Amino acid sequence: MNSLTACRPGARRLVVIPAFNEADTVGGVVRAARMAAHADVLVINDGSTDATAQEARDAGARVLSPPVQLGAWGATQTGLRYAVRHGYRQVVSMDGDGQHDAANLPMLFAALDGVTADVVIGACEARLSPARRLAWGWFRLLSGLPVRDLTSGLRAYGPHAIEVLASARASLLEYQDLGVLMLAADHGLTLREVPATMSPRQSGVSRIFSSWPTVARYMVATSVLCLARMGKSRGRRTP
Amino acid sequence: MHWVSAIIGVGLALTILLLVRRDRLHGPYALWWLLVAAAALVLGLFPQLVDWLARLTGVYYPPALPIIIGLALVLVRLLKLDIDRSHQERNLRRLTQQMALLEDELTRLREGEPRGD
Repeated sequence: MNSLTACRPGARRLVVIPAFNEADTVGGVVRAARMAAHADVLVINDGSTDATAQEARDAGARVLSPPVQLGAWGATQTGLRYAVRHGYRQVVSMDGDGQHDAANLPMLFAALDGVTADVVIGACEARLSPARRLAWGWFRLLSGLPVRDLTSGLRAYGPHAIEVLASARASLLEYQDLGVLMLAADHGLTLREVPATMSPRQSGVSRIFSSWPTVARYMVATSVLCLARMGKSRGRRTP
Repeated sequence: MHWVSAIIGVGLALTILLLVRRDRLHGPYALWWLLVAAAALVLGLFPQLVDWLARLTGVYYPPALPIIIGLALVLVRLLKLDIDRSHQERNLRRLTQQMALLEDELTRLREGEPRGD
């Protein structure tokens, strides 16, 4: 199986996996994603120093390796721009560390088809510790977004969302979470949240909730972002 | 002490002019720094201008005036700098992404070539 057959331009659905030094898990994630969904799989190898790119390629993914490290959102956006360039209509992003269960993919793609939502968030509420719940409550209050799991990297984007979020306006966002959702809401895109299952072999460590200084920096940066955007149009709530 | 301020002003103005002449400063930045050089030159040669300006604006302690104006200008300049940096960061990210996409396209084209070529 070579990488040319793995990615057919013109197919409708694309799974985007941003990966940074995840050689141990990315191959399995790619294989699981290809099994679960009738979709092409694109791995954004974001400055890895290990064999992430090779593992992903061997597993049948198309691999992009940006020459400068872009961060989780910058990498995901690269995938969205790839989708625009090659005419994909639907994109699901998921983490490369195996914490997201590929079994959710058909459900997420179906959610884009079935309901009139532009962004579908796969929420894993079970993983939320009390501290995180408190933080999310604060951000929900600040942003006015009708979303519970704000940092979930498991998301499905429809054609309008792909267009808006691939644009230059979205290129200065630091984190993949709130800023992205607020920008989507500002453009009148509808957000919807569906419960998703977590993979049992959850090896991933959150990039944000790894140490207290990082948490503090994240809380301040995101709060400022929320406050700066206050008064802009809010996301429409869908049942 | 008249000549001290004059030497500093003339020295600063000459340094900036030299940097602009050697293309070390790019377009809009050069204009800004030439204005700074001109101000340093004028204030260095005619420090009594500060006293006159202080009387005009009702400032009781004239030496504070250039400090306050200078600080305000530095702040404005810093703000502009960060705006420019954000703009550059955005461009850098877009270019990086574009490069990854084009690299992929190049690989795709090569893969599409018939074997043995």
